[in-house]
Amino acid sequence: MIPPPNATWHLPPRGVLLAAVVLLVAAEVGGASMGRYKLELARWARTGMLEHPAVHGLVGVRDVDERVLDEALFRFDAGLRLFHMHAEGMALVVIATTTVAATLARAPAARRGLILLLTVGGVGYPLGYLIWSVLIPAYGVERSKAIAEWLVWIPFGGATIVALLWLAALTATRMVRR
Amino acid sequence: MIAARALGAMLLVAAAAPPIAAHHTGVYTPKDNAITENFKQVKFSAQAGKFDVALRLYDGGPLRAEMRARAAALPDGLEGRTRAALVAHDAAEAERGLAVFFVALARDLALEADRQLAAGAPAATIGARFLEAIWRYYNLADFVVGQRDARASVAMRLAYDDAETLARLSSGAPDAARLRASFTRLAQILSNLIETTTPLRRNS
Repeated sequence: MIPPPNATWHLPPRGVLLAAVVLLVAAEVGGASMGRYKLELARWARTGMLEHPAVHGLVGVRDVDERVLDEALFRFDAGLRLFHMHAEGMALVVIATTTVAATLARAPAARRGLILLLTVGGVGYPLGYLIWSVLIPAYGVERSKAIAEWLVWIPFGGATIVALLWLAALTATRMVRR
Repeated sequence: MIAARALGAMLLVAAAAPPIAAHHTGVYTPKDNAITENFKQVKFSAQAGKFDVALRLYDGGPLRAEMRARAAALPDGLEGRTRAALVAHDAAEAERGLAVFFVALARDLALEADRQLAAGAPAATIGARFLEAIWRYYNLADFVVGQRDARASVAMRLAYDDAETLARLSSGAPDAARLRASFTRLAQILSNLIETTTPLRRNS
């Protein structure tokens, strides 16, 4: 569909752009740190796990515990990687979707609501992976996941999903009413 | 109005999805440890007829170090006979010696699980964790065991299945007494296997 000649894109508030860029910076710094401090991070996580044997179900037998520790370390590393990837992706999603919202939402309240949900949800959601990773040594894989789930993934991810559905409906409405 | 209805319908769909499934957190694939990895290297080298490679991997690897460290719990001279088989280019005998070693590791784990359960360790943790480790080691020896004593191999599998069923009961914690009995049975079967599978001394 060809846009009308007077159609222009509206920028979202600068605070939103700043939040997205900061998230992008955090993603890149996180990714670089994972590479640079891989050994230190793994050592820190392993030490934390050994300090909480009951949490991880360690039994004091190497042949049994090594598999448990290996899986927990894998999850710890996966959490950091997923933070890196989601932070990169969500930063761009925030910029793109808030730009669409700023352009298409005509009512100020709806525009503000959409931009707020998209920004808070998009910036907050990737942090859940970081929190999950950091909590694994002390709380174990599953309990940490539950904490991150209820504290971050569900509220922030939910906000993003609701805002995206709202934005999709708004865009569809604009097309129908054109 | 149309937008509100569409939004409502989409929210219902989103709310129906379980939260856990929404967050992909990676799939863990268990890896070999240093001993099992070295075992596979030695075994496959010997089976390919590359005994010089097998011997080098065996002499410098963690498998031999572990066999020496656990010599007291293994049949007399097992490590020496396994090495002699590699030197003599006898792949079957070398594999048999290594199989006995892994059966012994599995037996020791079964005994340790029983000891920890007797000391009051939580059955829910001990059962699943030890069974997984036992199978990881026994699995490496099962082919050799099956070739020599198919009935023992089947007995081990049945005993393992029983123990696993007990350990993974969906309702509540496993019964520690029954689980102990299962581990004792596994240890007994594995001890018998060590006796029947251990290579005879060449000079006896």
